[in-house]
Amino acid sequence: MKFQLSKAGVMGAAAILALGAAITGCGQKSAALLSVSAAPQAQPRIPVYYWHMWSAQWLPVMEHIVSEFNASQTKYEVIAVQVPYGQADTKFLLSAAGGDPPDVMAQWTQAIGSWGQAGVLEPLETKMTPAERQRFSHDTYPVFHDNGWYKGHLYGLPLAVDVYACYYRPDQFRQAGLDPDRFPDTLEALTDAGNRLNQVDTDGRYTRLGFLPQGLTRYAPAFGGGFYDPRADRVLLDTPANKRALDYLTQTGNRLGMERVRRFSAGLKSENNGADWPFIDGSFTVTLDGEWRVMQLAQFAPEMEYRVAPLPPPRGGKPLASFASIDYLTIPAGAKHSEGAWEFIKFWAGIDNPERAGAFNASFGWLPSSPRMTNSPAYQAYLHKYPQYHTFVQLAASPNLVTTPPVPYQQFLMDRIQSRDELAERGSVTPKEALAQLELETGRERSRRKDLGYDQ
Amino acid sequence: MKKGLVGYAFISPWILGFLMFTAFPFLSSIALSFTRYNIVTPPVWVGGANYRTLAHGDPLFWTSLGVTVKFAVLAVPLGVIAGVGLALLLNLDIRGISLYRTIFFIPSILPSVATSVVFLWLLNPEIGLVNRLLRAVGIAGPEWLQSPQWALPSLVLMSLWAVGGSMVIYLAGLKDIPVYLYEAALIDGATAWQRLRHVTLPMLSPVIFFNVIMGVIGVFQYFTEAFIMTQGGPEDSTHFYALYLFERAWHYLDMGYASAMGWVLFLIIMSITGLLFWSQRRWVHYEG
Repeated sequence: MKFQLSKAGVMGAAAILALGAAITGCGQKSAALLSVSAAPQAQPRIPVYYWHMWSAQWLPVMEHIVSEFNASQTKYEVIAVQVPYGQADTKFLLSAAGGDPPDVMAQWTQAIGSWGQAGVLEPLETKMTPAERQRFSHDTYPVFHDNGWYKGHLYGLPLAVDVYACYYRPDQFRQAGLDPDRFPDTLEALTDAGNRLNQVDTDGRYTRLGFLPQGLTRYAPAFGGGFYDPRADRVLLDTPANKRALDYLTQTGNRLGMERVRRFSAGLKSENNGADWPFIDGSFTVTLDGEWRVMQLAQFAPEMEYRVAPLPPPRGGKPLASFASIDYLTIPAGAKHSEGAWEFIKFWAGIDNPERAGAFNASFGWLPSSPRMTNSPAYQAYLHKYPQYHTFVQLAASPNLVTTPPVPYQQFLMDRIQSRDELAERGSVTPKEALAQLELETGRERSRRKDLGYDQ
Repeated sequence: MKKGLVGYAFISPWILGFLMFTAFPFLSSIALSFTRYNIVTPPVWVGGANYRTLAHGDPLFWTSLGVTVKFAVLAVPLGVIAGVGLALLLNLDIRGISLYRTIFFIPSILPSVATSVVFLWLLNPEIGLVNRLLRAVGIAGPEWLQSPQWALPSLVLMSLWAVGGSMVIYLAGLKDIPVYLYEAALIDGATAWQRLRHVTLPMLSPVIFFNVIMGVIGVFQYFTEAFIMTQGGPEDSTHFYALYLFERAWHYLDMGYASAMGWVLFLIIMSITGLLFWSQRRWVHYEG
């Protein structure tokens, strides 16, 4: 069989291919164009694309905030687009590289420094009016005000701050002959209480752990440790305080028997899913976890009795100390409607109206960003309903919070901290060796970046 | 000439796709490996700095290379042994053999993400099926993916799960071996082992060679399972080369460095492939 194809036929095929490529390649723009042409509106509003990673029980809360904003607007309309958490960074960076980023991007990875240096984000402080800057500087808690900056520019507005406190089960305290009204006031006392609360089966395997301290980043703050000195703009790793924290973690782990602990932990349900959190089924009596669990417990274990207390400091340590990881709202460089994006961010964060944002944070179970927000009627109602949350509000105002250092190699640094911490806690190296290795690795990366001409 | 043009018009989507999405990135990455590049701002030329760091200043690069080589040394030969062994069993003339072949082939077409999640549960040291079975016969199973000593062997064992893909190729190779060779061997009094050693394996060697080459290329790019199951841990024991490359590119925004790593990987794979081609004269037998 022989094909006969005219010149017009070849041209036609090429035109169809080109049209197909144009349609598939245009992304948001073409989608917006199609929706506008399909359903013309009397007063079309400017679309503001907002990429986020919220899912499960958090999604309706976030969608409610978006609809509140849209209801308040005649100019902009936020269109929320959910991206899978594991792929969010990659998708976002590709969109930025392709010149078609969203207008607002929720940012959970501690990478504001890296992205700020890379020129991926727009500085936000320039978008604030003098009055807004004044309010932001003076009214917000330090942890909300001091993070998201890189080299003098605010690249991410902290929206939610995750801090950690001890959730504990009074029923298990009573069973072990401990008084739940008197939570241990030192870390040493808590560790001893934890040992009394442990339970094992006939084979010697743990069936319950009273208290399992793990993770240098979460425990270093209570020992006065941390990873950054803002006055000297210097990363801190191999410090006496960090070593004391790592010594404590490794010694406690060794006493519990790390292999037995790992086997016990492997048999637990996934803690990422609120309903399966091992604290709910009684696998842990005391566990250091974040403020978002209060809402999850309200949803998944409303009848369960539990209390929350700050992590007690070790002798000579710091009270009300915690690591704080921060969720930001950012405006990518090259956003088509950055003004609309800023309006949305401002609305949600409550820079112009902390009372309104107090209701948003209460519905999410998030920390308040300012005393005004804490005192707002909606937030007070939330605290009244969930008195356990008071501990987290105390932490929000604490000067002893530790965050990710604002350096452009943040993710490398945090990955290596985790890796060396793991080595030490598993007993493969001593805490001293782990911190020395960490210092060496980080120094090597810094000098590599210096050789390549990156900002330091 | 006109006929040629029409032909090119028909294959132009493929040619365009190849040029844009394969050839261009492939060639660009050579240039990018000599730059610092974060994919958003233009690349900046840094000469051979990325390669110098790989050679002298990045222990994690060597760790990841070591993990990958160790995996290759274990997984490729085991894959060949399991694939050939299974093909020999499924080449027997027994009732229902097609069903058995299908059963052993099916795992190889399952998505590796789904397989990884299933194996996460199977290899759970406390509640996993594997350790429960071991416990039933009085053996305390290891911690598998949570142990730095066992994590890599766990992934090697898991790779055998998908051996059905190469098994089918071996089976086709076995079917291609002339029956008269076995008849001649039988007349000469060869035992079953001798027939395997002196007839089957030499005649199957081109197929084994092909699978070894493909296996080496595959294991040096091993990523999905490690990304989902271990994220490089515990203690960097499964920090594979491709995983580290991905981290450098997408977590640390170091595309120039990642490109250099990509080219080193390419050279390693090409060298091993070249070595295998050179060695085939000694062990691969082509009929006729």
